Amino acid sequence: MIKNKQIELRGFLQLDAFLRKSFGKPPYFIPADSPLTGRELANNLSIPVEEIEVIFINGFVHELDAVINPGDRVAFLPPGCPGPYRIALGFYGKNQDNPANFKIKKKEDKI
Amino acid sequence: MNKFIRVNMTNKEVSIGKVPEKYAALGGRALTSNFVNDEVKPTCHPLGKYNKLIIAPGLLSGTSAPNSGRLSVGAKSPLTGTIKESNTGGTSSQQLAKMGIKAIVIEGMPEEDKFYVIKITMDEVVIEDAPKEILGGCGNYKAIEILQKKYGEKVGIALAGPAGEYRMPSANISFKDPESHIRSAGRGGLGAVMGSKKVKAIVIDDTGAKPVPIAEPDKFKAAAKVFAKALLDHPVAGQGLAAYGTDVLVNIINEAGGLPAENFKGGRIEHNDNISGETMNATITERGGEGKISHGCHPGCIMRCSQWYTDKSGKYITSGFEYETIWGLGADASIKDLDEIAYIDRAMDDVGVDSIETAVAVATAMEGGLIPWGDGKKVLEIVKDMAKPTPLARIIAGGCETVGKVCGLFRVPTVKGQAIPAYDPRSIKGIGLTYATTPMGADHTAGYCISGNILKVGADIDPLKKEGQIEYARAMQIGTAAVDSTGMCLFVYFGIADNPGGYQALIDMINAQYGISLTANDVDQLGISVLKVEREFNKKAGFTNAHDRLPEFMEYEPLPPHNQVWDFTPEEVDEVFKF
Repeated sequence: MIKNKQIELRGFLQLDAFLRKSFGKPPYFIPADSPLTGRELANNLSIPVEEIEVIFINGFVHELDAVINPGDRVAFLPPGCPGPYRIALGFYGKNQDNPANFKIKKKEDKI
Repeated sequence: MNKFIRVNMTNKEVSIGKVPEKYAALGGRALTSNFVNDEVKPTCHPLGKYNKLIIAPGLLSGTSAPNSGRLSVGAKSPLTGTIKESNTGGTSSQQLAKMGIKAIVIEGMPEEDKFYVIKITMDEVVIEDAPKEILGGCGNYKAIEILQKKYGEKVGIALAGPAGEYRMPSANISFKDPESHIRSAGRGGLGAVMGSKKVKAIVIDDTGAKPVPIAEPDKFKAAAKVFAKALLDHPVAGQGLAAYGTDVLVNIINEAGGLPAENFKGGRIEHNDNISGETMNATITERGGEGKISHGCHPGCIMRCSQWYTDKSGKYITSGFEYETIWGLGADASIKDLDEIAYIDRAMDDVGVDSIETAVAVATAMEGGLIPWGDGKKVLEIVKDMAKPTPLARIIAGGCETVGKVCGLFRVPTVKGQAIPAYDPRSIKGIGLTYATTPMGADHTAGYCISGNILKVGADIDPLKKEGQIEYARAMQIGTAAVDSTGMCLFVYFGIADNPGGYQALIDMINAQYGISLTANDVDQLGISVLKVEREFNKKAGFTNAHDRLPEFMEYEPLPPHNQVWDFTPEEVDEVFKF
């Protein structure tokens, strides 16, 4: 159960396997005393930010630099979500300044 | 494509004529929907002699255009009573296009109680008695094996499975894929229409077929190259669908709080990790054997979102193991074991029923007390029983609305009699407008694609707010109707929405193939015209705006975790089709 001094974290697509290697089965409860951005959380966990298109905070899509508060439920989502849900869930208002979008990485660059 | 084939099952007469002038520029959904509107009596009984079944490749099918091997099937739907276009992968679309066949129409109905096979070659169309071994409950996998032995390994095959033979409203038409497995024209019960005409199978032998003629080959080749790059350079193809299939959406939609759970009571589940695309990928990789993470459902598919899912010993269970099926059984019906879901998916393919309609009907039956929640073994037994069929199997294959009535429920997630798929409209509102208004009955694929740049309509959509949703639902339905007419897989969406060059390349390919000069506006107009024709048929069949409504319980039952209700007024919903 999520506590006030924790962030409940998940990773999707390739970040699912990446986080499992370090933390085992999701979800992960990351200690957090104060607010931080998605980018800062990713950096703290050594998650390459170019692997993140948008983040979920408490069930809503946000840009990578959105602020996460202790007690929040968070998920990192790499580029690759298919379908019109990219529009319907609001990706396009959040991902336009993120260079991780709309480009494919070479196989050897992938985590 | 210059042949228009009509098969009259009343008198067994076949005509192979030229394509009527008015259909010459149409393909796929544009052709099937125009034809149904022109020739099918709107008030007819869908399983009676006045209904007609039409099968048509898309405008680009048979060419080297990537992902152009989808096939459209049209008729009046026995599930919804509306016009229906259902499309599929498999080998048949490319084969028919290469044979120069624009469409096959099956009309009339035999008086005798006897099933037939329609065999189509370059020279003739023959109606033969169906082999006895494939009748009376024979599964589709076995039937394909028998028909291939009789007619040749390379023939294309379309089948009315046992559910189609018994004219069940959830029956699909099953099509052979490149490895002799099964793809489905799933929604709307068109397998029952095929069964009602006593056509057990259509066999397509393309021996002697020539490549599809291209008016301007160099231009076509150049445009196809640009189009392929637009698809493959996008992360959705490169690292989303190819690795995790459409099941990648379980975690995403669950996180968004829009994954309908336990017959649409909740929007999020705790056991998502059991059934996610990420888990599927890891399971297939770990089991090895015949498993494939990525696989194309039709020749020429470069996105390869399908896969071969295996058992613990690495033996093939099923392919095309889609998000909507896994959601329906895994979240809506709360079956928590991915292997159990895979066996049910295989069984649904084998009897030939729509996996969305069946899964939602199962969840509704669980609410109605007919099946224990989460009991995958019981569900597998019932689906297998559809080949006999037992009374309970008939009720489930009758579709979600039938189950709701039988169980005396008011929580019945359908629109125009068709089950709502895997995205709850209370927390993803734009999809709800499409469910409500599409002429097809609740169908996520009716609002799946857009023509041109998405930012014009979708830059700032908030899933819980009304702003922009009407324009979104309208644009998506228009774009989808146009793309459904090309024979393109709808997953080309991101390659044309995010990349203006990709959209132009799609138009350039059509222009180069036919030596014409369509503009982006023409393609939009095609989409609009298809929707208007479909709407016109439904109106003549008795449908009004009052049928464009979501289930009432969604207006007053808040959906956790966002605790939203469906709050669009009827007047707002009606705005979607004002164009």
